[in-house]
Amino acid sequence: MNPTAMAVGVVMLLIILALCWYVSPGMGLMALIGITIGGVLIGFGTHFVPVGGAPAAMGQAPGIATGVAMLAAGAGLAGLFGGAWAAEQGLVVATITGGVGGGLMMAITCMMVNFVYVFGMGIPAASGKVAKDPITGDTQTEYKSQGTEGHGLPFVSFVGGVVGGILAGAGGTLIYLQLLSLYEATLPAVMGLPPAQVIPIAVAAAGMFAVGLFLVNAVLTAYNITGTIEGPHDPKFKRWPRAIVASAVASALCGFVAILIVAM
Amino acid sequence: MEQIVFGIGITALTGALATIAGSAEDTESNIGSQGDPNSQVQLAPQMGFLHRIFNKAVAGEPPAYGLWCALGAGLAWAFMAMQINAVLAIVLGCVLAVFVQGVYATTAYLGRTSSLAKFGQPVYVDILKSMTSVTMAHAFIAIFCTVTLCHLINGALGHPFPLPLLGLIWGIALGAAGSATGNPYYGKERQYQNQKFGAGVPISASGNIVRYAEAGERNSLDNGWFTAKIGGSASGVCFGLIVFLEIWRTILFEKVSAGWGAIIVGILMILIFTVVDRYIEVWARKNYGPYTEAKVAS
Repeated sequence: MNPTAMAVGVVMLLIILALCWYVSPGMGLMALIGITIGGVLIGFGTHFVPVGGAPAAMGQAPGIATGVAMLAAGAGLAGLFGGAWAAEQGLVVATITGGVGGGLMMAITCMMVNFVYVFGMGIPAASGKVAKDPITGDTQTEYKSQGTEGHGLPFVSFVGGVVGGILAGAGGTLIYLQLLSLYEATLPAVMGLPPAQVIPIAVAAAGMFAVGLFLVNAVLTAYNITGTIEGPHDPKFKRWPRAIVASAVASALCGFVAILIVAM
Repeated sequence: MEQIVFGIGITALTGALATIAGSAEDTESNIGSQGDPNSQVQLAPQMGFLHRIFNKAVAGEPPAYGLWCALGAGLAWAFMAMQINAVLAIVLGCVLAVFVQGVYATTAYLGRTSSLAKFGQPVYVDILKSMTSVTMAHAFIAIFCTVTLCHLINGALGHPFPLPLLGLIWGIALGAAGSATGNPYYGKERQYQNQKFGAGVPISASGNIVRYAEAGERNSLDNGWFTAKIGGSASGVCFGLIVFLEIWRTILFEKVSAGWGAIIVGILMILIFTVVDRYIEVWARKNYGPYTEAKVAS
């Protein structure tokens, strides 16, 4: 970890927040803080998702055989779908609904991955990074086939996937709700239209920004992970602090642009 | 009550459409070799193994399907705004999206394969002609089912997101579910069919993919036929369960306890899948056994 880079990141974050306070001190600043927290949740949650990439597709490494950003985006956007549906129920219920939606998507996907490995390919799950599963205590080394780093999803990776989906889904939903409330309050005056007419525009704009911010944070975290990760027990997981700072800065900058649309 | 029954019917229909979409998506990506196992298709000529496998992996499945489904949904939405019948609008939108997929597949195959010219890998025009149309046909099924389920979610169930945004979200989720579930089966079981069953591919075997079929050289249609049986079906079940259960818990339990009902049911379903996953893991350990003797810590 580079302390100088972290400090520069924190200073950049404070500058963006100060700019937002100058442009839109009340609602805009509160929305930006919510967006930043949502982005940090996405960035942190993506570290939990067990992604094996191309080696996992040949049973050469544990994890899910796809890209980090893509899987996190799939889970988080499924959560955003549910959270947006529950937006009328209030911030807390909608955010948790989004989190549960993301977690459910990951639970089904991880279960089906192990189903294919075990019943389609006859391969048991085995971690390549730890000798024993930290949750179940199952030994791993003797279940790795020759010449591989492990395969499938050991239980700790499954749990990591679900936790990652929950955090990513909640973060995406939080971003959407913050932007939606801001746009619903400000767009009627900006566009000179009655509130009922701007709701579809507010929903679409907030939804698109939420998807965009989601991809920004998921891709940023993918760079931090550099390739593959098994889950919370993987040594690469310890890199999360720098991704938190990077996600906060990137989310704040993107969120500031989204706020400028209605603040200027 | 009538509203709930209507909602359950639409939910069942979206689940069925998602199952077909997931199955078609995985088969399409395997015929086009678009998932992560394509690293081996790209690697094989560099190791001296020339082949006749299609190769269009210039984007991952989730962003590619996000694009195609958003395109199909956006065009259908525009056609519906022009007062064209919804069914016709969705079909037209999906046909145009599939043309984009066809252009993508053609340029991707030519680009990726010609980049291997220095290793002696030819560009087979007959492969381009016969595979592209088959991937387009499967892509049409996947995109059409996804756009239709998005239209049902938006029009019949009242989700606030506009159709193109729903197409983007569920297109990305479709690609994520299909690639996660289907890729290992295509990569390990098909491309490395010459390796031992019940074990991962040794890293030393990388690039040595199976290139010959029962008669003549293997091509990607053989791969699609093989993976449709388990990889495609499992991908379909995966995406179908995601769509069905996500909508089902919302439709039935959203009004219970001001939204907490859907949350509690969602958490219960996560716990059920966790138990099922653990059962599968333990079942494999007991029935397949370890590859080597367990080492006793000294």
